[in-house]
Amino acid sequence: MTHSPLQLTLTEWDQRYAELARAGLREPWYGGPLARHVERENNERLRRLRFDSSAAALRLWNFLLTENERLRTARAQGDRLVGTMKDLGTVPVMACALPKVRPFYPDGAWWTPCLMECSDRLLVQADALGTDPSFCPVRAMLPAFLNDEHFPRPDLLICSTGAVCDDFSAIAQRLERLGHPILWWEMPRRRAPDPGEPACDLPGGLIGPAGQVECVREELQRVGVELGKLAGCDLTHERIRAGIRSANQIRRQLQTLRQTVYAAPGAPLPALEMLIAEMLAVHFCSDRGECLPVLAELATEATRRVATRQFVIPDDAVRVFWVNPVADLRAMNLLEACGGRLCGSDFMFTHALDLIPEDLPPFEALARTALADPMVGPAQDRARRIVDDCRRFKIEAVVIARIPGASHCPWEGNPIRERIADKLALPIVEIEIPPVCDALLPTLRTRIEAVLEIARARREP
Amino acid sequence: MEVFLTSPWVPAEIIRAHGHRPRSAWPATPNRASAVPEGVCSFAQSLLSLAESHPDAALVFTTACDQMRRAADAALARSRSRIFLFNLPATWQSPAARNLYRAECARLGRFLTTLGGPHPKAEDLLSVMIDQENRRAALRQFIQRHPARLAAEALAGFYSEGIVPTAPPTDAIPVPRGIPVALIGGPLLPSQWSLFDDLESTGGRVVLNATEPGERCLPPPCPIPSPEQPPLPALADHYFDHAVDAFHRPNTRFYDWLGPRLHERQVRGLVLWVHVGCDLWRAEAASLRDAFHLPLLTLDAHVESTGGLRDTNRLAAFIESLQ
Ligand code: SF4
Ligand code: SF4
Repeated sequence: MTHSPLQLTLTEWDQRYAELARAGLREPWYGGPLARHVERENNERLRRLRFDSSAAALRLWNFLLTENERLRTARAQGDRLVGTMKDLGTVPVMACALPKVRPFYPDGAWWTPCLMECSDRLLVQADALGTDPSFCPVRAMLPAFLNDEHFPRPDLLICSTGAVCDDFSAIAQRLERLGHPILWWEMPRRRAPDPGEPACDLPGGLIGPAGQVECVREELQRVGVELGKLAGCDLTHERIRAGIRSANQIRRQLQTLRQTVYAAPGAPLPALEMLIAEMLAVHFCSDRGECLPVLAELATEATRRVATRQFVIPDDAVRVFWVNPVADLRAMNLLEACGGRLCGSDFMFTHALDLIPEDLPPFEALARTALADPMVGPAQDRARRIVDDCRRFKIEAVVIARIPGASHCPWEGNPIRERIADKLALPIVEIEIPPVCDALLPTLRTRIEAVLEIARARREP
Repeated sequence: MEVFLTSPWVPAEIIRAHGHRPRSAWPATPNRASAVPEGVCSFAQSLLSLAESHPDAALVFTTACDQMRRAADAALARSRSRIFLFNLPATWQSPAARNLYRAECARLGRFLTTLGGPHPKAEDLLSVMIDQENRRAALRQFIQRHPARLAAEALAGFYSEGIVPTAPPTDAIPVPRGIPVALIGGPLLPSQWSLFDDLESTGGRVVLNATEPGERCLPPPCPIPSPEQPPLPALADHYFDHAVDAFHRPNTRFYDWLGPRLHERQVRGLVLWVHVGCDLWRAEAASLRDAFHLPLLTLDAHVESTGGLRDTNRLAAFIESLQ
């Protein structure tokens, strides 16, 4: 079905859905019109977003917004649920390698106040539980755990700790004190090997000390034993190898999608859908099997649009690299409304986009991947990768999104800015985006427009 | 060379054994940190200023929290050769965490030799351990017999210069009266010691100082290894096993340490001392209340001083509520 790509409001999507249905749209069981997510889950924010008009995007959104429902169904069918907190990408590969085990990130409650436009009062409740606005919006996870109204309570909770943000570490500790036992595992702070110290290559072009890899490997083996107990069978090397292969299939698919979209002369898919698609890498949105076709359909759509030069954003839009996820999804729409397009990203989990080595013993491979997490190493490493990606995707401007309360944000901006200024001299803007940014929209708009204007002025005539 | 330690959980013995002078960062941090950006812990920021104002000294940061880890990154970017970031594991239950800690102690030793110190022989480290242990024993005695402010001064003297005041006869110093409270939390700097006076003037009395470097930071006596045993692993294990802090995951050891002391000393209220921007201590407020069922007052710390009149008024109201 040919259709010029557009960004539609939720109401416009109703009509589009009807058209697609008339044309014989086939959907997975979690499919349906987008508007139902407002009625059923109170996701009021959807009314203020603009969505890509493709069937592929519809499937992506439905996949994302039915996660809690799918988790409940899985539990009813006897699956064991594992809350894998903080590591963003590694433990889910292990959990998915076991039969009838489903990992999910309770951290995802980060976006609940945004989606529900704070009508859930999760942030107010988080405040009452001892985590005030000086903590990042992930504090919404705390009441979400207690009130059982969002995700189901996991059968096992696993959390990486050590070189993680203070916000999450403190909130997870509070959660444990509130009666939710946690299996903690140590994540050392990644450092460059000392002269003469045995070292290993890590994904993402990094190098780490062999001793740190060994520490993480042992920790992951310990986690593997607990996962095995939960599943009632051992997490054997064969199982993990198969799990790694499946994860890599998804990561490859995502790499194809990113390359297609970010390298294209115009934007075949909008920023918001790209953010959601990238997020799937972290835990496959609780369904590894379904995640692959969701991404494949999106990549097919993007490829088709590039081939027919059908772009959803005008092709003179400024090519922007975006750093950090946004607490309010609306900010991604705003970028486009200001005349930008997403051409590169570091949403804090670039290690979940890189392929896990398949030629190493599996725990070793996972340990190296976990240690490549941009958040466990110095911001300078992160900045280096950002600069490389900016070059690769011909970036014209960089937006650093600050997360309110996040312990890392006040420290990271400078090293990232300095590196970009030193190597590329691109215009950069740093903006803080709260979970519902409506009141700040005029300011945010002005600041983004200003940086895009500078980028545009620098274009060669 | 002077080597500043930013945490009580890095053995100063290793520094002394390498021929350097361990100094603690708490008393040395500048009274005025450079402008503290929003969201940044003022203590972590002041460590950067400390590094800048002491270009001939080395600094050992730790990974105890994200803020300090990132302050270390900033310091490393400016001066790699004299900054060491010690990976303090947050967990303590697994052999992997213990091995990480031991390996970091050994790595610290290698760093110290790059600063010009000799590589110590086992007996050198052992004799430093014995000497340090004797000083700690004297310090423990001193702080038991002295009011909180004097004890804090003694602790600071020990950590910054290794000096321990001699304890006068028990009856030499009158025991102050007041409602017994525990002071809990992160770094309490000399510029902030007026907090003890404020507490006393409002009718309270600190009977347990669990800030940094308070009593909480004094590990129990370290068993001295036999001459056949390598001393470094024994020293590392002792620190690893007895660190009591909020950053541990889980941080049950901190609660297990606190509980009996609060009970023994008949503590009636808790004052939580939290640096602005410090999530780790701030998040403990609710858990401390739940765990000990004691009234708790959170005071926000800025590097320069205590919070002035407003905090004094809050303290007064708090102490009054405990009467
Ligand atoms: S957004 Fe930042 S501060 Fe918040 S949980 Fe994620 S890494 Fe931590
Ligand atoms: S006061 Fe808190 S945030 Fe600051 S360095 Fe200490 S633990 Fe870290």
